[in-house]
Amino acid sequence: MILVGELSLWIALLMCAWSATLSFAGGRLRRTDLILSGERGLYAGFGFVVLASAGLWTALLTSDFSLRYVASFTSANLPVIYKISAFWGGQAGSMLFWCLVLGGYAALATWVNRRDNRVLMPWVTGTNALVLLFFVATTAFASNPFERLEWVPADGRGLNPQLQNPAMALHPPLLYLGYVATAVPFGFAIAALITRRLDAEWLGAVRRWSLVSWVFLTLGIVLGMWWAYVELGWGGYWMWDPVENASLLPWLTGTAFLHSIMIQEKRGMLRKWNVTLVVTTFLLSILGTFITRSGVIQSVHSFAQSAVGHWFATFFILALVATVVLVAMRLKDLESPAQLEAMISREAAFLYNNLVLVGIAFSVLWGTLFPILSEWVRGTKITVGESFFNAVNVPLGLLLLALTGIGPLIAWRRASVANIQKQFAGPAALGVIAAAALFTLGIRELYPLMTWGLASFVAGTILQEFWKGIGARRTMYGEGLPIATVRLVARNRRRYGGYIVHAGIVILFAAFAGMAFRKEYDVTLRAGESTTAIDPFGRRWTFTSEGLSEFKALNRDVLTIALRPTVDGQPRPILTSEKRQHRDSRGQPTFQPSTEVGILSEQRQDVYLVLAGAIGDQAEIRINFNPLVVWVWHGGVLMAIGGLIVMWPPSMRRRRQEGYVAELAPQAVAVSA
Amino acid sequence: MSERASRRRFMQALVVGAGSLAAAPLGSQSGAQPSTVMSTDAYRPVLRPAKPGAAPQVTDEQRDALEHQIKCQCGCILDVYTCRTTDFTCSTSPAMHRDVMRLIAGGYSEQEILDAFVETYGEVALTAPKKEGFNWAGYFAPGVVLAVGGIALTVLLRKWRAEAQLSAARAPIATGGAVLPGVSADELARLDRAIREDG
Repeated sequence: MILVGELSLWIALLMCAWSATLSFAGGRLRRTDLILSGERGLYAGFGFVVLASAGLWTALLTSDFSLRYVASFTSANLPVIYKISAFWGGQAGSMLFWCLVLGGYAALATWVNRRDNRVLMPWVTGTNALVLLFFVATTAFASNPFERLEWVPADGRGLNPQLQNPAMALHPPLLYLGYVATAVPFGFAIAALITRRLDAEWLGAVRRWSLVSWVFLTLGIVLGMWWAYVELGWGGYWMWDPVENASLLPWLTGTAFLHSIMIQEKRGMLRKWNVTLVVTTFLLSILGTFITRSGVIQSVHSFAQSAVGHWFATFFILALVATVVLVAMRLKDLESPAQLEAMISREAAFLYNNLVLVGIAFSVLWGTLFPILSEWVRGTKITVGESFFNAVNVPLGLLLLALTGIGPLIAWRRASVANIQKQFAGPAALGVIAAAALFTLGIRELYPLMTWGLASFVAGTILQEFWKGIGARRTMYGEGLPIATVRLVARNRRRYGGYIVHAGIVILFAAFAGMAFRKEYDVTLRAGESTTAIDPFGRRWTFTSEGLSEFKALNRDVLTIALRPTVDGQPRPILTSEKRQHRDSRGQPTFQPSTEVGILSEQRQDVYLVLAGAIGDQAEIRINFNPLVVWVWHGGVLMAIGGLIVMWPPSMRRRRQEGYVAELAPQAVAVSA
Repeated sequence: MSERASRRRFMQALVVGAGSLAAAPLGSQSGAQPSTVMSTDAYRPVLRPAKPGAAPQVTDEQRDALEHQIKCQCGCILDVYTCRTTDFTCSTSPAMHRDVMRLIAGGYSEQEILDAFVETYGEVALTAPKKEGFNWAGYFAPGVVLAVGGIALTVLLRKWRAEAQLSAARAPIATGGAVLPGVSADELARLDRAIREDG
């Protein structure tokens, strides 16, 4: 099976080259036989990538240490779940995994659209096959997981302990599913540019695939935050690390696109801008991969430097140049009617929202690349850390939060003063009251105060919209509250799914602000000793050490501390934190000791325990009180749920009725005629 | 990777990516485990003689805040305070902490301590670039880009509004005539309302 897998990778390479060539030729010559052959080539390419993946999984599960990859990332005693996830734990395997996801997406996009978009599809298939060809070629030539060692070691090196976490079994695949999905809209954009079919035809498919990408990126990013929080042990969930930034960039531009596409759907405007955003989102995912895999930027969890950096740089440059040339050649076709009835309109609000999202993307990219730029210009190496990114991005984030509330409430085309007063009076009052109440309660920090005030305002706008919609249904159809709510969302998934996403954003921002009140305590405890700490809510905690203990687990030695907490005299569940030294099947230590934090999660805060180390029977520990952290996960999940609702396809019956075209009532026409 | 090598690699990868691609060894396998490798030889002592009649000017809270501004040099991306209190396997951050403590005991101020670290390690010792010279570009570029974008967008929107007003003035509906056969101005107004009210 391993040999079959290895051979399959090379056959997949040929199939992708075949598919790209035949699809482009078929599109150009308008020959159905060539187009069909190109499609089948793509399906076959995907099939062979599946076989190659099966080959690698077989090698991982059977611990075939003759493969360098298997020996580098697994050991015989590694739990099966992590042998499976080791597939994407290293550079070469993750490249193959990328091919697998991309092949699946490309085949699915071709299959789903094989009867629609007949003019576009050969070019879409060809572009997707070309992108897949690049990834398969990079995997086969520069980062081949089937490369063999000259000798077979008795055991492998094992998987990095920080990757031996359930979140890491899910976070990379979800992120890849999001990253890679940006290739499909890119394929449609290129096809639309080539065929000059830049009207609304391609937008439907592009929007769906962009939503797929957005939902997976959202889940992947949030899960990555959770992994960093529980596994890295420094007490936070976002460090503005280059790898984190790389995942955020396409999310930001993808979010901008999902807003601006509405303006094109409604008004036929912004063709150039939308094509630019689709292409930029894909290119940023490639640039992010280059940053992550080339080793040019130091990161806590990037892949080591390797030859794939050159491949990605080359591909990025070629794709960028080709796209710029193509867009330049089609500028005339991209002209669209651009008229705006009023500056205060939803179109304008969405465009300012786009500006802020793209501005944040620029600042994140700028901050990530600035150390290299500084070194290049001044020859001085600098660090651009959390404080820089926060200084630049927090104000922009607040602006974005405000626009999240403003945009959806302003009418399309023109908002009257009466409309604005009617829509905003309640939510604005709520925001002001919330901020005033928090100020009265003693909160003086500007950013948290602004965040919670704005979050209350946006929450007010969302609740108001639901309230009106539900009220209307109850009046018109006599429905109960739950039925009216469900039907309201189900009948207008785009609108109310979008509000649910916004609700997730509100929760996320409110939770971010909570971390401004984080408290940290560093203490040393022997068994039986206690320490007290005051949390951000003024409650008095006492932590009594149950002492250190050592034991052996499946593939590791563990040193653990147990603390018995009480809050204002009331007992809470025991908190434990561990230091782990992983060992291979011969008992040899692998990697440096790692930390497993102990977390006591409450709705208001997490109590976060880190065993920093031990000197004799003394445990060196850090206790953090991290306010509102659990709401970060709630907010992230809510955003993804909202995205799924927006993405969910309507039934065939409703599909015919849906859309933004307002139809004239037939009887009214008859009367007027 | 040295500074020079890092820069060279980046430029090589970006500018002559295609050329270097051909030169890349076929089938090479990277050591692709996520890199959390700590460098133990990155530590360099930051030593200064104690000031005459030295007395500490920095409180414990100020010291912790100061250590949040100094980057651990072990190869992680954490500051000294966070690294030393959460990663007991790192020998660099405790050593840097000891230097901070020694400088505090020697009567040095927070700024003097930061300067001493920069002198020893270079600007890479700081978690954020110093606000001077070329670094201002780092701080201001996002704001400038956003401001320019905002102005450009506002100008564009105003232009679009002017065009809309112009075409509205020329539109036949302005004279009360029907634009589409069989569709009255009332119907068009109703259609317009429907579009406006749609979510």
